[in-house]
Amino acid sequence: MKFSYQWLSELVEDLDIDAQELARRITLHTAESEGVEVHGTLLKGACPATVLSVEPIANSHNGKAEVETEAYGRKTLVCGAPNCREGLRTVYVPLGVKRVSGIDSDGMLASAAELGISGDDEGVLELEGELNLEADTIIEIDNKSLTHRPDLWGHYGMAREVAAVLGKPLVDPVSLEMLPQGPGAVGVEIREYGLCPRYTAQLFEGVKVGPSPLWLQYRLESIGLRTINNIVDVTNWILAELPQPTHAFDADKIRGRILVRRAEEGEKLLALNGEEYVLTAEDLVIADEGGAIAIAGVIGGKDSAIGPETTRVVFESANFHASAVRKTSARLKLRTDASMRFEKAQDPHNTLRAIARAAELFELVSPGVVAVGGPTDVHGELAAAPVIPLDLGWLKRKLGREIEKQEVIGILERLAFGVADEGEALAVTVPSWRATKDISIPDDLVEEVGRMVGYETIPPVAPAMPVTPPPVNLERRFYNELRGVASQQGFTEVYNYSFVSEAQAARLGVPVEGHVRVLNPIASDQGLLRTTLLHGVLKNFEENRKHFDEFRFFEIGKEIHKQPEGLPRELGHLVAGLYAHGGDGVAGLRELQRLARAMAPGMRFEPTAEVRAYEHPLRSVNVYLGEALVGRIFEFHPRWMEEGRAAVLDLNLGPLACAMAGIAKQYQPVRRYPASEFDLSVLAGERTFAGTVEKALGSARGEAVERIEFLTEYELPDGRRSLSFRVTVARQDRTLTQEEISAQREAMIGAIREAGFELR
Amino acid sequence: MIGRIEELAGQTLGRVREAGTPEELEAVRVEVLGRKGSLAEFGKLMGKLSPEERVAAGKALNSAKTSLEAAYELKKTAFESAALEARLAREWVDLTMPPPGIVPGSLHPLTRIQNEIESLFFSMGFAALDGPEVETEFHNFDALNIPPDHPARDMQDTFWLEGGHLLRTHTSPVQVRGMQRLGPPLRMIAPGRVFRNEEVDPSHEHTFYQLEGMMVDREVSIAHLLYFMKTLLGGIFGREVTVRLRPGFFPFVEPGFELDIQCMVCGGEGCPVCKHSGWVELLPCGLVHPNVLRAGGINPDEYGGFAFGLGLTRLVMMRYLIDDIRWLQSGDLRFLKQF
Repeated sequence: MKFSYQWLSELVEDLDIDAQELARRITLHTAESEGVEVHGTLLKGACPATVLSVEPIANSHNGKAEVETEAYGRKTLVCGAPNCREGLRTVYVPLGVKRVSGIDSDGMLASAAELGISGDDEGVLELEGELNLEADTIIEIDNKSLTHRPDLWGHYGMAREVAAVLGKPLVDPVSLEMLPQGPGAVGVEIREYGLCPRYTAQLFEGVKVGPSPLWLQYRLESIGLRTINNIVDVTNWILAELPQPTHAFDADKIRGRILVRRAEEGEKLLALNGEEYVLTAEDLVIADEGGAIAIAGVIGGKDSAIGPETTRVVFESANFHASAVRKTSARLKLRTDASMRFEKAQDPHNTLRAIARAAELFELVSPGVVAVGGPTDVHGELAAAPVIPLDLGWLKRKLGREIEKQEVIGILERLAFGVADEGEALAVTVPSWRATKDISIPDDLVEEVGRMVGYETIPPVAPAMPVTPPPVNLERRFYNELRGVASQQGFTEVYNYSFVSEAQAARLGVPVEGHVRVLNPIASDQGLLRTTLLHGVLKNFEENRKHFDEFRFFEIGKEIHKQPEGLPRELGHLVAGLYAHGGDGVAGLRELQRLARAMAPGMRFEPTAEVRAYEHPLRSVNVYLGEALVGRIFEFHPRWMEEGRAAVLDLNLGPLACAMAGIAKQYQPVRRYPASEFDLSVLAGERTFAGTVEKALGSARGEAVERIEFLTEYELPDGRRSLSFRVTVARQDRTLTQEEISAQREAMIGAIREAGFELR
Repeated sequence: MIGRIEELAGQTLGRVREAGTPEELEAVRVEVLGRKGSLAEFGKLMGKLSPEERVAAGKALNSAKTSLEAAYELKKTAFESAALEARLAREWVDLTMPPPGIVPGSLHPLTRIQNEIESLFFSMGFAALDGPEVETEFHNFDALNIPPDHPARDMQDTFWLEGGHLLRTHTSPVQVRGMQRLGPPLRMIAPGRVFRNEEVDPSHEHTFYQLEGMMVDREVSIAHLLYFMKTLLGGIFGREVTVRLRPGFFPFVEPGFELDIQCMVCGGEGCPVCKHSGWVELLPCGLVHPNVLRAGGINPDEYGGFAFGLGLTRLVMMRYLIDDIRWLQSGDLRFLKQF
C-alpha cells in the first residue's frame, strides 16, 4: 500500500517531520515501511510554458521549438511530441542544455507521464489553468503488516496513527454537512444481511463526464491508481482515503431497483476489465431487474459503467462480508483494490461518510452536479461498539513494565478508543473501524498501548522459573549420532527436495499410487512427494560425477507414504551414496558395509531374493540388526548408472533405532580362564555365501562358543572357495578340557557336512 | 701367576678397545670373561697356590675382571648407540605428506546451525520437538488462529495435498502439538523443514528451514521475551547484540512483533546490508494468542506465553555469506565440502 506524504500532511495538522522520518516512526509504532520514493521528480523547477513556434529539423522527426516559459524566459529546445504546436500551453522542465538533432536544446517539454500525473505519454501535457503540483514522497507500507487493519488501507486511517504517534491533531476530510438530505431516490433491497450488512446508494444528476483535474490525476497516479475519468477517479480517491470502496453506475443503464443477492448458478457478468465471469450461488452480486450489474465488493459490470455520455450516476457505498468477498475473488482469481479492502472486514459505519465525501468531490470535478434526494440506506442490525475491560495490573504483567494510568488513557483516546476509568481497570470502547475483526480481547489492547508507548521502553527481564533439564529428543540425538559417524567415515551431508515427478517415480519403478499428490505443484515435474530418498541419490550421483571421479555423500530425510486415511506416514531414512569412476565396485560396497557397522557393530548382511530393477542383480544385500530388517546395500544397475560404479546404503531409521535400543548395554565380566581357538576351513561352491557357511557353523554353537569369526577366503583352481573361520571357546568358571574343545569342533564339522559342505 | 694375569688383562683390554664389530667384541668376552674363558681358567688354578699367594693372585684376578668388564660394557654401549644412531638416521619419513585413508566428510551447514542452536536452547531448558512435514489444515492454520478465508492465509503460499492436507508452511503447528504433549509450563523449540509455494530464485526457496520456539508459564511478559531473544542471539552471534521490537502482524500472537537486530556490519550507522536503516529484520515473535493456548488445551486465564520463529536458512546464509539460497539443496559437493 502506497501512502502519499502530501496527502498525509493534509490530514495531520502541522506534520513537521520529513517522509523518511515519518516512515521510520510508522515502522516502529504501526506497520512496516518498505521504503520511500520521490514521485514527480521532474516537477521540481517545472513551470507552465507556451510554444511560440515550431520548425521542422532536417532528417529528424523532431522539431525545433521556441517557448516562452513563465519562470525562465524564452527558451529554444528540441521536441518530438506530435502535439507540439504553436500556441500550445504546456509544461517546461529546466534540465540544462543538451545537443539534440544538431541543435542546442535547453530543457524539455514534458508529458503527463514524465511528470507523474498520469500514464499518458502520447505527447506533451496540454495544460489548462495553473500547474499547482509539487513533487511528492511516497511511503510504501508492506501489505502483510496491514492484514489485520481494515482502517489502514486508506490515508485517513494512517493519518490517525501518525497523529496519535506525534501527538498532532487529526483532520477529518469528511464533513457530514455535505451529506445530501431528503428521501432516497434509489430503490435497494438486500436479500442476505449476513453477506451485505449495509448498502447505501445516492443518485446524482447533471453529471458531466470528462478528465479529472490534474491534482486528482496526480494524486491517484502517485499511489499507483490509474486515472479513468472524473467520476471513477472520485470513487478511487475515496477508496484510497477513507478507505471505503465505492462504485459509480450509470443510472440510465440500471433497470429498476437494485437487488443485492446471491448469483444464480452459472450467471454471467461482463466485467469492467472486459472479462466475462461465470458465477456460482456462493457469489454475491448487485443486480437490477435484468440481471447482475456487479460482483459485490469485487468489480463492476461493463454494461452499467460510466461512459462519456453518462449524466446520472447511482453512487454505491456498501459493506460486504469479508470472507464472502475473499472467496469470490480467490475463485475468480480477481483481486481488485476493492476486494483487497473488503476482505480485511471494512467498517459498516463508513458508508454514509463516503456519500458525504463523494457529494463534495463530485462538486469539485463536475461543477453543477445535483444530488437527488438523500441516500438510500438499507442495513440490518449493526453491532454495537464492543466494550473491553482492561485490568491495569494485568497490563503491567503482560508488558513487563508499569505505565501510568493517565498515559494509558491518553494513548487509547488518541487512537479514538472510548475510555471509562473504573479504578483498577478501564472499560475501553472500541471504535467501529477497529471492531470488525481487529480488536476484540484485552490482549489486543496490550498491543495498542505497547506499540504507542514504544517497545524500546521495555527492559529485558529474566523470568523467575525452576531450573529443570528438558526432556531429551532421542530421535534427534540418534540422527545426529548417525550424521557424526557418516561424516567421519568420509561422507558429506546433502539435503534433497521432497518433490519428485511421475517420471522419476517410474524410473525407479515406484508405484505412483503410493505417493501423496501435490494439488498445486510449483512445476509439473514436482507433483509428488518422495516415497524414497533414492531419487535424490540418483540425482546427486549424476550431478556430482561431472566434477569428481570419486565421492561419498549421505542424507537423512523423510519418506512420505500415502495412507488410506489420515496423515501420511513419514519414515526417517538415511541414504549414503558412494561413486567411483574406475574399479570393479567391490571396494565401494565394502565401504558401505563398514559404514553400516560403524553405526551399529552388530549389523548383519543377508542375501535377498527380492529383485529390484534398478539394482545390480548380483550386488544387493539386506541389512539386519538383531532380527530386524533395517536396510539395504546395493550397486545401481549399469542401465541406471552407465558409467562408473554407484553403491548405495539405505537405512530405515525407525526400526534401526528400535533395534539399537534393544541391544543390552550391560557389562560382561572379563574371563579369568584362558580361551581356546580352533580354525575350520570349509570348501564351498563358487557362489556360496560366507554367511550361509557361518550360519551352518552357528547351528552347532554350544554354550562355550564365544565367537565365530570369518578369517579369509581362498579360491581353488576348480573355482570352489575355501572359507576359513576361527572359533573361540571358553567358559567363565573354569578352563575347558581338551575333550570339550574337541567335542565342539566335531559338532561344528558335523553341521558343516550336514549342510552339504566339506572340510578342506 | 700374577704376572700372567696382568699380561692377559693388558692384551685383552687392547682387544676390547680395538674390536671392530659387536660380534668381535662378543668373541673376546666369551674367550676371556666367559664361564670357560681364560680368567675362569686362572680361577681354577687358585687352589694350587699357597694361602699368601692365593690372596695376592685373587686380588689381581678380581681387579683384571672388573676393569675388563667395565671396558667391555663401555664398548658394548658404544656399539649400541652407534647402531641406534644408524637406525634413526635411516628412518626418515616425510610427515608433510597427507595421510592415506578416509578424508572425513562434512555436515550440511543447516545441520550445523541447527545443532548449535538446539544445544543453546537445551542449556536454557527448552526441549526440542518434531512435527510432521505433512500437516492438517487445523494444525497449520485453524489452531493458530487463522480461520478459513482469513486474509492471513495469503501471507503464506501453501502447497495443498490430496485429502485436505498440506505441506506445513511454518514450524508453528508444532506449538499446538507441543502444548498437547508437554502441558504447561513448558519451554520448547521445533526446528524443521517447511514449504511455501514460491518460485525459486537466488533469494527464494519453496523448501527451507525454520526453528519455532515457545515458552508457556504462569506469567510471561514482553520483558521476558526480550530477555530470551537477547540471550539467544548473543549466543548465536557470539557477542552482545542490540535488539528492538516493532509491531508485526501474525495471527497466532497478540501482541505480535518483528524483532530487528542492530546491523553488525555497520554497527547501526547504516550500510547496504541493512538498507541504510541500521537494523536487520531477524525474526517474528510475540505473546501467544489466547486462542492458540486454548487449541493446545491450555487455559489462557491461568497461563501465558511467548513464541518466536527463527529462519534457519537465512541465518545460515548470513553466517557463511551465501549469496544464492539454491546452493543449500543443490546436493553439489563442491559447495557442501566447504563446511
